[in-house]
Order: sequence, then structure tokens, then C-alpha cells
Amino acid sequence: MFGYITVNRSELKVRELNRYQSWYCGLCCALRDTGGLEGRLTLTYDMTFLAILLSSLYDRPLTRKKILCAVHPLSRHDTIRTVFSAYAADMNILLSYYDMLDDWRDDRNFTRLMQARALRRRVRDISKLYSRQSRAVRDYIAGLTECEREDDGNVERAAALTGKMLGEIFVMQEDEWSSELRTMGFFLGKFIYLADAYEDLEKDEKIKAYNPLKNISGRGNFDDSCRDMLTMQMSECCRAFERLPVVRDAGILRNILYSGVWTGFAKTYRYRKNIVP
Amino acid sequence: MTDPYQVLGVNRNASEEEIKKAYRKLSRRYHPDANINNPNKAEAEAKFKQVQEAYEQIIRERESGSSYSGGYSGGGYAGSGGGGYGGYGGFGGFGGYGQDQGAGSGQSQDYQDEDDLKYRAVANYINAGSYDEALNVLKSISRRNAHWYYLSAIANARMGNNITAKEMAETAVKMEPDNIQYRQLLAQLSTGGQWYMDTGRSYGMPNLNFDNICWSIILLNVAANCCCPGSCCYAGSFLH
Repeated sequence: MFGYITVNRSELKVRELNRYQSWYCGLCCALRDTGGLEGRLTLTYDMTFLAILLSSLYDRPLTRKKILCAVHPLSRHDTIRTVFSAYAADMNILLSYYDMLDDWRDDRNFTRLMQARALRRRVRDISKLYSRQSRAVRDYIAGLTECEREDDGNVERAAALTGKMLGEIFVMQEDEWSSELRTMGFFLGKFIYLADAYEDLEKDEKIKAYNPLKNISGRGNFDDSCRDMLTMQMSECCRAFERLPVVRDAGILRNILYSGVWTGFAKTYRYRKNIVP
Repeated sequence: MTDPYQVLGVNRNASEEEIKKAYRKLSRRYHPDANINNPNKAEAEAKFKQVQEAYEQIIRERESGSSYSGGYSGGGYAGSGGGGYGGYGGFGGFGGYGQDQGAGSGQSQDYQDEDDLKYRAVANYINAGSYDEALNVLKSISRRNAHWYYLSAIANARMGNNITAKEMAETAVKMEPDNIQYRQLLAQLSTGGQWYMDTGRSYGMPNLNFDNICWSIILLNVAANCCCPGSCCYAGSFLH
């Protein structure tokens, strides 16, 4: 389910794109510090968004460094880090771990099981430090499994479970912004689940996997309905976002929330409707 | 009572951006973390709280000024009801249901006693923020009139099930087209998208409306002529 919370590169200024990349590199460093090589392999743009969002909301000072990176040894890379990079790194590992276990459970993907094993000790530490978030992820997996087992036709049930989980991830500590952050995470989670379901519909129908959209996929304006349902989620998410006093890097965050998140969906939508991009 | 705009040092018609920047400037100055070594630490903290409240008040006022007073209440989560200005104000006029005697809020049906009690319970649960309970009780009511769908829409909206909520509201309006309360609710649940798309355009949101112009005209005609617009048929698959 990773991959949706990312920028629309063609719409970002070069300066913003470089900054975004610096945050991404900073997250990578944080992952290496906390999870070693295995940790670094879980790097995502999705959690980069979280690092930027929380750092801007709480206005934390930035640590900027130019580093030589093992993966890109030819030139020095700018990195931006804050205390929230470390938090985002921990959440990244937590989510990746359960993602891997899920792949193992669903497809008996042995590689994923091995990857999960490598992270297990770090995940245990993270779960102790962030017990609420860890519990939320475990509850999510359990709830999703039940939903799939019952083959629930309700379009929103699984999406809402995803949202509830992501809402907890977005809240590092309980404070005056928790409610708005939970709301953001909730609707972003719903968006991600539904967009993923839309993209995977064909595949899921073939392999008979659970997909709540399959019950309405026969309707005439199915693609537009999905677009509208997804728009409803992002609009709630962004309302919550706009209530937060986020100033720094707001351009990058808005690019993601208003444009970047649609990249995957747009591709499938155009493909399904035979529209030339 | 202090003027929140004065606290932040902005004038009444300041833009959202200006308000956020003003908050940030003051927050940096008075945040507890920035005043650890300050002998006037307590005053700084008090001022910080004031700044925080002023910001929240302005945001809340501006939000309720718009036509959207939405659904999701950040809800179901412990303590979030009181958390800052998290979530939305109630739907206009809904709060009255629980307090009305008997058949208030425009209801003219006579309920069997059992159903009447259940509807009161639903309203109480909604007012108390127990949306899961409200939906459970609703599930147990077999005779589903427009009012049932109306309450279901509200409970679902507060839980964040906006897709289901909108379907429920559409059904309520379909069953009682003259009920202004139901129409208002549907309007509230439908306004979010346009704002988002308008803002999105300036950030390069992909245009997914190539053939939408023709389609929406077709839908409008269908809605005008046919008593069963396509979208309401989804309600069946969403009821659980």
C-alpha cells in the first residue's frame, strides 16, 4: 500500500524537488541509524511525507548535512533531518514489517518472510516505544483479515480500518494537534485503500482476492464513481490539513495532497477509459 | 473577552497564510521548549496557551462561516471530541432531536412504541458521540423510512463513512423530497469535492474529466426525468 503519498514531480519547482529529495535522503539516514541495512531497504516516500508534515507542524529545527551515501557514491547528497525523521523511520519500519508478513501470509513469499525476520528485533523496540501505534497496526491486520474472510461488500469498511490505523501513525504524541492529524491520516488511509483497490481490481478478480469494489464494478459510471469517492476522502483530508498552521514546505505538502496522490489512480483511470494521456 | 485577531497581531481580513505565519512567529517565541531558561517561563506558557486558543478560535469561526460543517468528528477515538477544534461542529439543527418531545423535527409518522424508543436511543447515541452504538440500534430497526436514512447518514458521517453517509442522505431525500433538513444534509455532504478540485487545479491535479461534460449533462437529464437516478442504486450494496 506504499507508493501513493508522493509528489507530482512535473508540478514542483526545482528548488522544491531538491528539498523533497533532501528530506527523502534524510529519512534514509534515519532508517540506517535505527534499523541498519535492513531498515534502509524499507525507505518510502510515503513516510517522507510524514516527516515533512510533522516537522513543519511542530516547527522543529532542521539538521542539514551533505553526506556521501553508499548507494550513490559519486556525489554528496543534501539531507534534511529532524526528530520527526526518526519517528517517520520507526513508523516506516513498523509498517513495512507487517506488510512483509502480510505478503508471506498471502503469497508464501519467502523473501518477504526473511526480510521481516531481519527487522523483528527493531520492530520489538519500536513497539515498546510506540505501543499505541504498534497496537493500531496489529488491530488493523486483524480487522482486515476478518473483513476479507467475511468478504464484506461494504465499500468503506476495509478503507476505514486502514484510515484508523494511519490516523494513529500520524499522531506521534497526544497534544492539541492530535485530532486534526488523526483526521488527516484517517481520510488519507481511506484514499490509499480505495485507490489501491481500484488499481488492483482486474488482478484481484482474476486471482479471486478480496476487493470491495468488485460488487459495484459492473456499473456504467464505475470509474467516475471511484474518482468521486476518492475525491471525497482527499477533500476531508485536506480540510484537516488546511486547519493546521503548516507554513514551511507547505508547497511540497500541497503538491502531494492535491496532486501527487492521484498519480497511480489517474494512470489506471485513463487506461480503463482508453484515454490517451 | 480578548479578540483572537489581536492576540495574533493580525487584522480581521488577514489571509489564512498570514494567520498561520502569525501563529508560527508567536509560537516560536512563547513555546515552552523555547523558554526553558526564561525566568518568566510561566508567563510565556500562559501567553502560548493564549496564542494557541486564538488560532483555534479563528480557524473554527472561519470554518463554520463556510457552508460546510461536515461530518467526521475525529470521532470514535477516546477524548478526541474535546481535542482542540478537532472535528466539525454539529449539523445544523440536529441537536434538537433528542430534546424535542415526541414527534419533533418534522416527523409526522406514528411509530410503534418500540421503534420510537429506538429512534430516541439513536439520537442520544449520536449526541453522545457513540456512533457505533447508534448504527447498531439502527441496524435493529426493520421499518426504514426517510428518517432512518437521515439518522444513518449522520451517524455514518460522524464515523467518517462519508461514502455511505452520502448514499443514505440521497435515499432520505429521494423518499421525502420536500424535507428541507434532509436536503441540507445532502448538500453538506456533497460540498467538499468542488473546493478540493478547485484548489487541486493550481497544484496540477490530473484532469480526470475528459468525457465528464457529456456524462454530467446526461446524468442531469436522467435525474430530472427519472425517479430513480443511477447513483442511489448503490445504497443496496452499502447497507450491511
